[in-house]
Amino acid sequence: MTQMTQPILSVQGLRKSFGETEIIRGIDLELAAGERRALIGPNGAGKSTLFHLISGQLAPSAGSIVFDRQRIDGWTPQRINRRGLARSFQITNIFPKLSVFENVRIAAMQRHRVQYTFWRLLERMARVREQAERLLEQVRLQGRAATLAGELSYSEQRSLELAMTLASDPKLVLLDEPMAGMSSEETQYTLQLIREVTVGRALLLVEHDMEVVFSLADRVSVLVYGEVIATGTPEEIRAHQGVREAYLGEEAAA
Amino acid sequence: MRVTTPMALLGVLLLAALPALLPAGLLNAAIQMLIAALFACAYSLLSGRAGMLSFGHAAYFGVGAFATVHAMKAFGGAGLLPTPLLPLVGALAGLGFGIVAGWFATQRSGTTFAMITLAIAELLHAIAPQLKGWFGGESGISTMRMPAWGLSFGSTQQVYYLALAWVLLSLALLYFHAATPMGRLTLALRENSHRLGFLGYDAHGLGVSAFALSAMLSGIAGSLQVVSNEAVNYVVFDAGVSAAVVLNSYIGGVGTFLGPALGAALMTFFSYAVSDATQSWLLYQGVLFVLVMMVLPGGLTGLVSTTARLVGRHGFAAVLPLALLALGAALLLSAGTVFVVEAVQRIFSQDYRSLARMAASLPPITMFAHAWQPAAASTWLVPAALLATGAAFAWSARARLAALTRGTESNALEAAAPAIS
Repeated sequence: MTQMTQPILSVQGLRKSFGETEIIRGIDLELAAGERRALIGPNGAGKSTLFHLISGQLAPSAGSIVFDRQRIDGWTPQRINRRGLARSFQITNIFPKLSVFENVRIAAMQRHRVQYTFWRLLERMARVREQAERLLEQVRLQGRAATLAGELSYSEQRSLELAMTLASDPKLVLLDEPMAGMSSEETQYTLQLIREVTVGRALLLVEHDMEVVFSLADRVSVLVYGEVIATGTPEEIRAHQGVREAYLGEEAAA
Repeated sequence: MRVTTPMALLGVLLLAALPALLPAGLLNAAIQMLIAALFACAYSLLSGRAGMLSFGHAAYFGVGAFATVHAMKAFGGAGLLPTPLLPLVGALAGLGFGIVAGWFATQRSGTTFAMITLAIAELLHAIAPQLKGWFGGESGISTMRMPAWGLSFGSTQQVYYLALAWVLLSLALLYFHAATPMGRLTLALRENSHRLGFLGYDAHGLGVSAFALSAMLSGIAGSLQVVSNEAVNYVVFDAGVSAAVVLNSYIGGVGTFLGPALGAALMTFFSYAVSDATQSWLLYQGVLFVLVMMVLPGGLTGLVSTTARLVGRHGFAAVLPLALLALGAALLLSAGTVFVVEAVQRIFSQDYRSLARMAASLPPITMFAHAWQPAAASTWLVPAALLATGAAFAWSARARLAALTRGTESNALEAAAPAIS
């Protein structure tokens, strides 16, 4: 956005149709390095689809996505992830019958490039273990390390999801409703945690809790029916008449 | 149930002592058991650890076998490839073919994956009799084991030790694999291949690696079969071979490390022991499989670990009568079923029907060294009594189990589901 710094993520004219229906209808979006951006909008606005497009789950119908000076639209998820873009999922997406520790360890060992290593014991890789333990501590799951991930409570699984997303030390983190289903204490803790762990990284966040959005985001983009209708600081968005009508409604008035 | 190091050592010692304990005929069966056990473990790496159900594993077993028979003919058991190293050929052939087949098959998952594996095996089965040079046509290829390293390999005993060494080596490799990054990722692949991609892993590559490793170990098993039999023909690609390894693994318990090996060894032993005595072995095998799938989803290993858990929770004294009842029920029901099946099979056999036509009455049938009158009520009272008593035992065992587990939150039979390694 400024000439000084290249944007870490730049989306241009992005479109996605499913058959006749166009879900994403020409989105332009730029994220500066280190920026925390929230994406808000009513249900069905296309927030999750946009995440799927950026993270490689879906290929766009038209438009370009440039991440870290590389065009990534149409890439596979693993290629995008290795480039430094990690995402979490709205519907918890973990390894349910493996232990919590194993879930995080599998996520953490990726950057050690050991996918095809069959001659070393994972147990002996001290750095992977330390990283996994540190991540578990960060999301306060160290006491649940031996539990099967599928047996965690819903909010604990959200924390695990977050730990797994952060494990690859990404440059850009996409978080899809990380606080959904959390108590207010957990939400406060996770809010602080996200603030800490995203220092030095860019963040794109979808969240319905407006308190979280306005206290965490540097800037907010509003997505309605597959288009970004406004982007600005939390104050600007609060004051924006179109946004109030389209989306915030009573929440902003309150 | 955890297998501890002393237990494993004891098992190896027992296997090593077998030739001294068994007559030569049984030792031959023991070699077949070892090969079937290795094949089942190789299969379970794919279906248990990686969660991909293959219906065509005979292909990799067969490719290993044919590669070995050609190597035996070409090298004559000397030079670079002495007899003890022949399974390396099977391993390489299995690995190579597994990479190619796996690359295609693992593009898909679930039912489609299973169908692709089935198609690959059927393709080989159909094409092999046509390619006389490679597969020896209908009659197959035979060869000779040659002496090497000062061993003649003429005796069953030496072949047994050769097979044992390779099987143990392969099992050690499998065990080690589970603890390596690749092995842990194989588990994760079974659990959630979608998420692996978003963690930066190549799920397809992981699928191919598990497939190829499984094919490699299947190739070693096929190789050992050739070394032992000194011959192979295209029947090794038969769908029955693919089916047997599925049945063996699931009967033993596909989610556990040694379950498939035990299942395969047990079933091979039974088929060896029983196939001379009955013509209905395949029927028994099928019935056993259906029963295991219905009541013991964890297989026989699941049964053992459930029993161990019950003993741990309620004490040996409380479980013993239950176990005896269940065992009694199993024996009585099997005896009754076998009686009926064998009698019916004899009565409907062609020989018997022509005999009956000539005699114009129902001649007695010989079974279990006794002549039975097919028309006599007393004949059929025997299986009826066996089945009724067995059912009563089973009923009582069920009631006891329910009484024992009442109050504890988890149902023991549900807990019998395979433990996740």
